[in-house]
Amino acid sequence: MPRPSFYQEEYYPSPMRHTWTEFQNNHVALAGLWCLAFFILAAFIGPMLVPYGPLQQNTDMLLLPPAWDINGEISHLFGTDSLGRDLLSRVIHGCRITLGSSVVLVLIAMLVGCSIGAYAGMSRGLRASVINHLLDAIMAIPTLLIAIIIVAILGTGLLNSMWAITLALIPQFIHQTRDLVRREFQKEYIVAARLDGASNQRLLMRDVLPNMVEVLVVQATMALSVAILDISALGFLNLGAQSPSPELGAMLSESLDTAYAAPWSVALPGAAIFLMVLSINLVGDGLRTALKKRLLQ
Amino acid sequence: MLIAIGRRLNLLIITLFILCLGSYVLAFLFPGDTLTNLSGTPPLSADQSHQLQLMYALSEGWFSGFWTYLKLTLSGDWGVSLNSQTPVFDDILYLLPASLELSLYAMVISLLVGLPLGVLAGLKHRTYTDLGILSVSLAGFSFPVFWLSLLLILIFALQLGYLPMSGRISLLYDIPYHTGFILIDILQSDVAVKDAALKDALRHLVLPTLSLSIVTTALVIRLIRRSVVTVYSSDFIKAAYTKGLSHSQVFWRHGMKNALLPIMPQLAMQFTVLLTNAMIVEVIFSWPGIGEWLIQAIYQRDYPAIRGGMLAVSAIVVTFTISVDLIVRILYPLNKRQFYAQA
Repeated sequence: MPRPSFYQEEYYPSPMRHTWTEFQNNHVALAGLWCLAFFILAAFIGPMLVPYGPLQQNTDMLLLPPAWDINGEISHLFGTDSLGRDLLSRVIHGCRITLGSSVVLVLIAMLVGCSIGAYAGMSRGLRASVINHLLDAIMAIPTLLIAIIIVAILGTGLLNSMWAITLALIPQFIHQTRDLVRREFQKEYIVAARLDGASNQRLLMRDVLPNMVEVLVVQATMALSVAILDISALGFLNLGAQSPSPELGAMLSESLDTAYAAPWSVALPGAAIFLMVLSINLVGDGLRTALKKRLLQ
Repeated sequence: MLIAIGRRLNLLIITLFILCLGSYVLAFLFPGDTLTNLSGTPPLSADQSHQLQLMYALSEGWFSGFWTYLKLTLSGDWGVSLNSQTPVFDDILYLLPASLELSLYAMVISLLVGLPLGVLAGLKHRTYTDLGILSVSLAGFSFPVFWLSLLLILIFALQLGYLPMSGRISLLYDIPYHTGFILIDILQSDVAVKDAALKDALRHLVLPTLSLSIVTTALVIRLIRRSVVTVYSSDFIKAAYTKGLSHSQVFWRHGMKNALLPIMPQLAMQFTVLLTNAMIVEVIFSWPGIGEWLIQAIYQRDYPAIRGGMLAVSAIVVTFTISVDLIVRILYPLNKRQFYAQA
């Protein structure tokens, strides 16, 4: 950042600021951030704006094509499904359910995973070895498989599938946090603080955690995209959210019966999932690159 | 070296043991009668129930109960399915090849496509080629696999009518079951219209394989690109160029070996992702594999089948990952240092 440098007036951006400046240089990632912001906005205030309810049926307007089709009507922008429900309203409500529940479950998984990971990172000896081996074994199993096992135990439903995916995501966070904590604890500034008499807990909260936040945010964006894909996959397999609910995956599986007559009712909810995941991946990728550039300097 | 192999094998055995324990505990966690969940036969009389009780040693406490279960599991007696009353273990053995076949082809295709593209992107780091490949791969792994396969069906099977939309082979061909791998079975069989059958099976394979491999290819490209970029920015590559080696010499002697070996375990991890995605794809394409069977079992609350399916799939996943890890550690000299430092 070129600035007129009078006297000693040098400008040093804070680490957060620095990351943000780097992030802004990446235009594709910025576009992803805008797209994500649009989805979050749609999830928050969209349901108040749409003219139809997600379950409201209109039997005069069955299988209406989207407005840009020659047979479409502007009153139903995305068309309607086989029960005459407005697809735009359903997709916006679906964004709220899918994105909202994914954010919540990633936050829970992060909180639990980081606590266990920090504990595992600080412990030594047999305990650490047992946790390590157990983690390696669980990490090898894909999250969706673990989620399916847990859903089989708990029974189907949106809440149960949320629990399942939360539990399935936790090992990744434990793994990441454990490695980070262990690496940081070997560095000299920690040793210096320890020589000053700081306890493990204080070291973790005051010194290590601020250094980890950004890496954890990157990890959380990755987990978020996995969570969205998994929750809609479970919904699609009828193991998650059940049929009349406007969850995006459940909507897709519901519209399968009319896929030939109304391809838009398959294409549009799926496109919403795709765009959501794509924007999250773009932001996560941009953040990671920005972070790497900052750390290299 | 022996110690290192021993440690890995130890990990494998312990993990499989934990999986067995997990599947035993599942029988208690599932709703319904534990004995029925274990054996799959609802006891009709008190006598039969007593017999089952003796077989699974349930009354003798947790430890001997689990020991009996372990012995039964190892000898291949996994109970019978609640719905069809066929032995679960035989069902799994019968269905597994179909899933493995699908995942294997998808993996081969993703490696064939992903490897050159990833290397190209890594070599042309920060050019338009790199940017293009990277954006395509980013889009590729953002695809929900179920939506992708539905779109492919809509376009290629329903609109254009080029390809069949479900199953492994047309019902016209009666292929006897030998190995379970349909292509091998066709080649081995003595059906009159072998060529036509082979062509038909391949046409059935295209859409499921394509929808599986797009996501995996994207992941493979990213992994390889990052590894190539890291290796090419390291000092020994500069040293090799300074020594006067040509581009291709550096590429084959120094670049590729160091870029590909360390990411082999991560590539192997992609196979497990593939296997899970294959479960969804199997449901969509009515592919008669273990994923479709497992999901049907969940719908019908067929607990012995769920238990067996879980155990089989996770055991395959774990065995595969650990063995690739082991092979790479043996082949890759840099890892030996880590080995001994840990051991």
